This record gives sequence, C-alpha cells and structure tokens, in this order.
Amino acid sequence: MRNPTLISIPLIPALLVAGLCQAAPQRVVSINLCSDQLLLLLGDPARIASVSHLARDPNASWVAEQARHFPVNRASLEEIIGLKPDLILTGAYTNALLRRALKALGYRVESIPLAKRIADIRRNIRRVAALLDRKARGEQLITHLDERLAQLREHRFARHPRALFYQPNGYTAGRDTLQDEALKLAGWENLPATLGIQGYAPIDMESLLLAKPEQFFTSPYAPGTQSLAQRRLRHPALRAATGGKPMRVMPYRYWLCGGPMIVEAIEQLQRAHP
Amino acid sequence: MSRPARLLALLLGVLFVLSLFVGSNPIPVFQALLDRLRDAPSAIGIVLAEVRLPRTLIAIVAGAALGVCGAALQGFLHNPLASPGLIGTSSGAAFGAVVALYFGFAGGYGIPLAGMLGALLATLLVYLIAGRDTGMLTLILAGVAINALLTALISLLLSLAPSPYAVQEIVVWMLRSISNHGFDDFWLMLPGALLGGLLLFRCRRALDALTLGEDTATTLGIDLRRTRALLFAGVALAMGSVVSITGAIGFVGLITPHLLRPLAAHRPGRLLALSALGGAGLLLAADIGVRLLQRFGGVEIKVGIVTALLGAPFFLWLILHHRRSPA
Repeated sequence: MRNPTLISIPLIPALLVAGLCQAAPQRVVSINLCSDQLLLLLGDPARIASVSHLARDPNASWVAEQARHFPVNRASLEEIIGLKPDLILTGAYTNALLRRALKALGYRVESIPLAKRIADIRRNIRRVAALLDRKARGEQLITHLDERLAQLREHRFARHPRALFYQPNGYTAGRDTLQDEALKLAGWENLPATLGIQGYAPIDMESLLLAKPEQFFTSPYAPGTQSLAQRRLRHPALRAATGGKPMRVMPYRYWLCGGPMIVEAIEQLQRAHP
Repeated sequence: MSRPARLLALLLGVLFVLSLFVGSNPIPVFQALLDRLRDAPSAIGIVLAEVRLPRTLIAIVAGAALGVCGAALQGFLHNPLASPGLIGTSSGAAFGAVVALYFGFAGGYGIPLAGMLGALLATLLVYLIAGRDTGMLTLILAGVAINALLTALISLLLSLAPSPYAVQEIVVWMLRSISNHGFDDFWLMLPGALLGGLLLFRCRRALDALTLGEDTATTLGIDLRRTRALLFAGVALAMGSVVSITGAIGFVGLITPHLLRPLAAHRPGRLLALSALGGAGLLLAADIGVRLLQRFGGVEIKVGIVTALLGAPFFLWLILHHRRSPA
C-alpha cells in the first residue's frame, strides 16, 4: 500500500480551492468526451448541468445511456456561458483559446490530462472526485477497477504475440498510450512500441509489414461512413501479413478515454489471444 | 515501334525495376521475389508484391492515361494548353468519385464509374462553353471557371460528408499521392483506363488528318462527330478511372505531350503512344522521387506536389514561348 499522505499531497491545492468556494460545485459543465465520462461516473446527477454531445455517442462513450438524461453542449463559448456553470471540466486537447476566454471571464476551468496508463486513470478519477466533492465515490470506483485488474492479471500467457492498434490513415498507438498499456496487460507485445513509436502516430506501411504483425485491433470511430483513410484499413497487404486473419474490432468506448472501462478492453484483448 | 518509342519503353522498364527497389525500408528484392515465386509467405514478399508492385503499376497506368489524354485533347482542340487538369476533366472525375465514395452511393466499381460520369460531364461542359478552335484563352477561361466551381463543390461535399476523416482529405483530392494503394485499387482502375486508352488510339488517324484543317479532314473521310464522341468517351473513361483512385495529379497530362512532340514529328496520332510511355515514366519517376525523399529525408510528400513543381515552371515557359511566337 502506498503512503496515504503522499497521495493526498497533490490534492492540497484542490482542497484549498474547494475550501475557498465553501461548497461543492452546483452546476458542473463538461465539454470534453473524457471529462464527460468521469463526470457522469462520479458526479451527483442533480449537479451536472451539461456534458458534450459526444457523451451520447454509444460508439465513443461508455456512459452514453446516462448522458441522455443531461443537456448536451457543443463546446461553444456562448453556449457555456448560458449554462451558468460554477465548474467547467475540459480535456487536455480542448481548444486553448476557448479555455483562455473562459478563464478571462472568471469561470473556474479544470483541465483533465490525458490518461496514458492505468495509474493516470486512478489519478484522474481522484482528481475529478475531489473537484466534485465526491471522494468516497471515487475511491469506490478505483477499488472496483483494481479488483477487476487483479483478476485479469491472473491470466498468464506463454507467448506474447505481436499486435497493434491500427486506425485509419495508418495511425497507431506506440509507447505512452492507453492502448499500449492495455495490450501489454492482456499478454500481447505492442509492435509499434518496439519500433520506437511514441504516442499516437502514423506508422509506415512497409515498416509495419516487415515487423511481422500477428494481430490487428481497430476501433471504428464512425462506423458506416466512408473515406480514403478508412479504405486504407482494407489494404490487401495487411490481411496477407496476418495470414488472412481479419482485424479485430475493439469498441472505441472501452479505450478512447481513460476510465474504469479499460478493464473491458483488456478482457476482450485477452480473449483474442491465440 | 519507332526508335523514340523503343527508347521510352526501355526507360520505363528501367524505372519499373528501380521502383521495386525503392521503399521506406531496404529489402532484399531478389529474395522477396523468390519467396513469392515459391509461394512461401514472407514479410518481404508481401512488401514487394502487395505494396511496391501495385504502387508501381498504378503509377504506370495513371501516368500513361494522363499522357494519352493530354496528347489527344491537345491534338483535337488544337490547343497547346489543353490537358485533363486544365479543362475540368480531372476535377469532374474527382467530384464524381467523392460523391460516390463519401456518401455511400457506390462501392467497388461504382466509384470509378461515378468518376467517369463526372469527367464526361465536366469535359463536355467546358467544351460546350468554349467550343472548338475558339482560341486558347476561351478554353482556358472556361476550364478555370469549371475547375474553380468543382473544386469548391468537392471541398463543400467533403466538409458535409459523414466520415470524420473527410475534411482532412480535401487536400488529398487536390494533390493526390499514390502511396498506400493495393492491388484492389489497381484492378478498380485498370478496365476504364485500358478501354479509354483504346478509344483514344482509334482516333489516331483522325487526329493526324485534323492537323490539315477540318475541311481537308472531312474530305479524307474523317467523321468529325464520331471522332469527337470517341475522344470524349475515351478521355472520360480513362480519367474517371484514374482520378477516382489517385486523385487529380496535375501537369503530367500537360507537359508530357509537349516534351515528346518533336519526337513524334509533330503528328498528333503518333504522339499518343509516345505520350502514354512518357507519362507513365514521368509519374513513376516522380513517385520514386517521393519515396527516396521519404527514405532519406524522413518526410512524406504527395506526388502531386512533385508533378506541380515540375509542371508549373514548364507552364510558364509555355506561356512565354507563345507570347514570343504567337502562332
């Protein structure tokens, strides 16, 4: 067990702010899919003023059903002001101009960093829980997550076949990504990481084929739509590389954002093991 | 085969072999070929046969189609600036393909078919607006207008398309690369390109006769209306197929016929075959350049940028040349 005082040190500024505001925020608005999901998982429904429209997309959001009960926003400045928020949750990649404008207008804006590994998920849950004054709920979620992870870790795999997360336009997840962590926890070797790819980046077709991938995983972002980028996933060479084995589809909602749903992704990845 | 044609074919052969050796990684090409011939599955075999070979063949077919279409249009319209890129054919084809692909009206061969229809309509529209033998300026202006309209429409459609990737692909349709295409795309492109090329070759005699003027050509037994129909159908078939797979690659259709015209003794009929070989060589060389740049420079640029960088100065030279000798 880690030292509880050490864990609470980063929380001190948040506690100070919460103390200054006297009470938990009453009208919380989230404008990013990842903060939306943490808010919906942790927040008191009566205090959630709005989540982004993406939160309702069942393909990208794990809590799409819950999101239907709340007004949605499209992250425009006017819209956010109209919602009269006392706390605004954003993502790491939320438009910096918008964030600056909101801060200049005196709103409390909290940016939730990208989760690159399981530890980041725990950290983000604790952070949002503290902001919402729902720490007990946060710890409950983390305990549940850790229990499921411990169960999944019991599976041992004799071999770690080379796999990768492969997306339209040849994008893949290298080191320091949630997909890298999930693949490794599920007993695969993350091929792009071994090629030195860092983060979410395109991989060149020839280099990919020469690294002899054994299994592709892909997460359709907008199923049923067509583009050249998406057509590239059907390149005959990719299928030939895995000996005709088709790509496996991983629902994006499990690992697009960091959250307790990562265990679902890991479970599916384990089941895909040869 | 004439001597220039043999030389060009030889050059193309050399480029073909060279092309199989150039990629983002060095691979033992002969070993890969052996693996492939022995039917032994190997990663290098896949790279050679499923990545480099289709890319090379697509460059050859697309370049040849662009060259032939440019030569045929320049010959028929008596206009040195006529080319698929300038008279709206390419953007018409891209427009058709974009409608079919992104809005799910068609898949497979439906995409090149839509490209053919778009190419035909755009070319006819420019032709109807400008007319034949009305001078260089009218045709180019009509082409500029239709191109601008279609380019705007393509951007509009891609902005409205349901796919989240569509907006980024606006640039792809304007300056296309031929990387990341497999044999599936090659087979989609080939039938229209071949058929279009055949139709254009049937215009050879008519194009030669037309250099003597329409009246003389008619007395020589050339059916002008039939020639026109064949020519437009050929250009639409070839460009529709090629552009719907590779996007609008500029300038190959414009400059290839000019470079080779002296070798064809200024006979437009003879120029067709030379332009096919020359266009194929030019586009393949440009794509090899792109791959070398990727391998040694670490940057991936679109082949359309290379052809435009080569073509635009040539275009300027052409204008200056015509200012000096307004013939």
